[in-house]
Amino acid sequence: MFKKIFSNLLLLFCVTFTSISIADELSARQVVDDFQNELLAVMKQGKELGFKGRYDKLDIAVRKSHDLPKIARIVVGKQWEELSAEQQATLEKVFSQLSISAYAHNFKEFTGESFTFISEEETGRGGVVIHTNLHIPNEKDVKFDYMMKKKDDGWRIINIIADGVSDLALKRSEYTSVLSKDGFDVLIAKITEKINNYAAQ
Amino acid sequence: MLIGNRFFAAKIAALVIIIFLFAGCASTEPREIVVDEHSLPETEQIQTSEVDPYEGFNRSMFRFNDHLDDYVAKPISDVYVWMTPGFVKIGVSNFFSNLKDINVVLNDHMQGKFQQGVEDVGRFFTNSTLGFFGFIDVASDLGLPKHEEDFGQTLAVWGVPQGAYLVLPVIGPTTVRGVPGGVFDVAANPTTYIGMPVQLVSMLNTRANAEGALKFIDEAAIDPYVFTREAYLQNQKHLITDGQGKANVDVLPLEDDLLNDVDTGDSKNKNTVDPTGNKSPSAQIDVANQNLDNAVTALDKANTSLEQTAGKLDKLKKKRRFKRR
Repeated sequence: MFKKIFSNLLLLFCVTFTSISIADELSARQVVDDFQNELLAVMKQGKELGFKGRYDKLDIAVRKSHDLPKIARIVVGKQWEELSAEQQATLEKVFSQLSISAYAHNFKEFTGESFTFISEEETGRGGVVIHTNLHIPNEKDVKFDYMMKKKDDGWRIINIIADGVSDLALKRSEYTSVLSKDGFDVLIAKITEKINNYAAQ
Repeated sequence: MLIGNRFFAAKIAALVIIIFLFAGCASTEPREIVVDEHSLPETEQIQTSEVDPYEGFNRSMFRFNDHLDDYVAKPISDVYVWMTPGFVKIGVSNFFSNLKDINVVLNDHMQGKFQQGVEDVGRFFTNSTLGFFGFIDVASDLGLPKHEEDFGQTLAVWGVPQGAYLVLPVIGPTTVRGVPGGVFDVAANPTTYIGMPVQLVSMLNTRANAEGALKFIDEAAIDPYVFTREAYLQNQKHLITDGQGKANVDVLPLEDDLLNDVDTGDSKNKNTVDPTGNKSPSAQIDVANQNLDNAVTALDKANTSLEQTAGKLDKLKKKRRFKRR
């Protein structure tokens, strides 16, 4: 009798578990949570890893959690469609490198920082915003809001709003300004220069 | 010793005054742009956005401020940072921050934030007594955190429109609304009425505190002028709404618009999305802008001489480089 119940429970457990693992790609909140944990882990080993080491680890973590191709398209706005396929590929590549380099540079050491989940908010067109706080000892908390969009294979970060300053809007202003003033080649040159500066420090 | 030389000290003091006013506004513009710009009519090559109708003028001011920071403010600030022990710097920073809390209290009340106002009164008296004239921020540890309020925010809460973005010489980024805001804030800060040496330290403190942000802009910005403008305007909005609800409501539809632009692919038919989230200015702003036009004409004249100064500073820099080699 007990055996039967046990085996039924076991079966039920297995079914539930597998169904969870199939149906449940990570939730938007989990994607942010995982990314923040990976970021903190890299910060903790920041010095031993060096820039290259941090870059390699974050390369995986950032690409997994951010929709970099989409962000790269959004930051150049309407001018995306005026770029050739080759230019689009170049932009996507250097933009991704820049984003990861910026993370590797700005999160290089650990001084007791921690992230706290605050709330989750649904926006129009199936988007979700995850509100979090970055706590830095002896400093004022920084609000980090992650705007998430669902892709085929799960939720991705599409924008980060730090204390009300939207990374996407900021970059978009900059990139469209440089593109219309100086052209594509100058934009790529400037991005490359930034990447090299990050790596050199 | 130079330090004993009064004349030298007076000169430094004069330089520091300039810096001071300027601290917090500067950032670096890539040199290659600086070189080209004298020969190009920049107002023609730059798209003006609705929030920044004076971009050409503002860019000149930005560049001037940038040079001023590079050659005057930063070097002196670096010396201050280098020669001052960490705990003294924190104490000095707390001291001036505490004096600013008087203005915070005034603006709390003018914005109708009476609860916060009472807390900030408590904060000021706690830090002024237990915190040794504000040198130690005990109030934060006692659960009375620092609030950021100023008269520019109060005007916004009262419904005064933002007006055009402006970069003022020495003072840095502001808006038409921010100008009277800044005048009030200076008047409500006791540091204004204290003697020169204290004001100098206050300036050094302001510049030293801005170092992190300026370094970040320098490292991250593809176009430092645009970066500073967007970050300033967005952060202002965040402060005005105290980071609550509305700021997100403002930002999110914008992101959706951005996303939609790409998703639908018919972006050419869409209206221009202003990345700052500022929609077409109202008629009120137009009036404000017209009034401002006169002022800008005068400033434009000043700008010509500033441009010359910037040119001279550039030459000076080249000479310095040459000497170093």
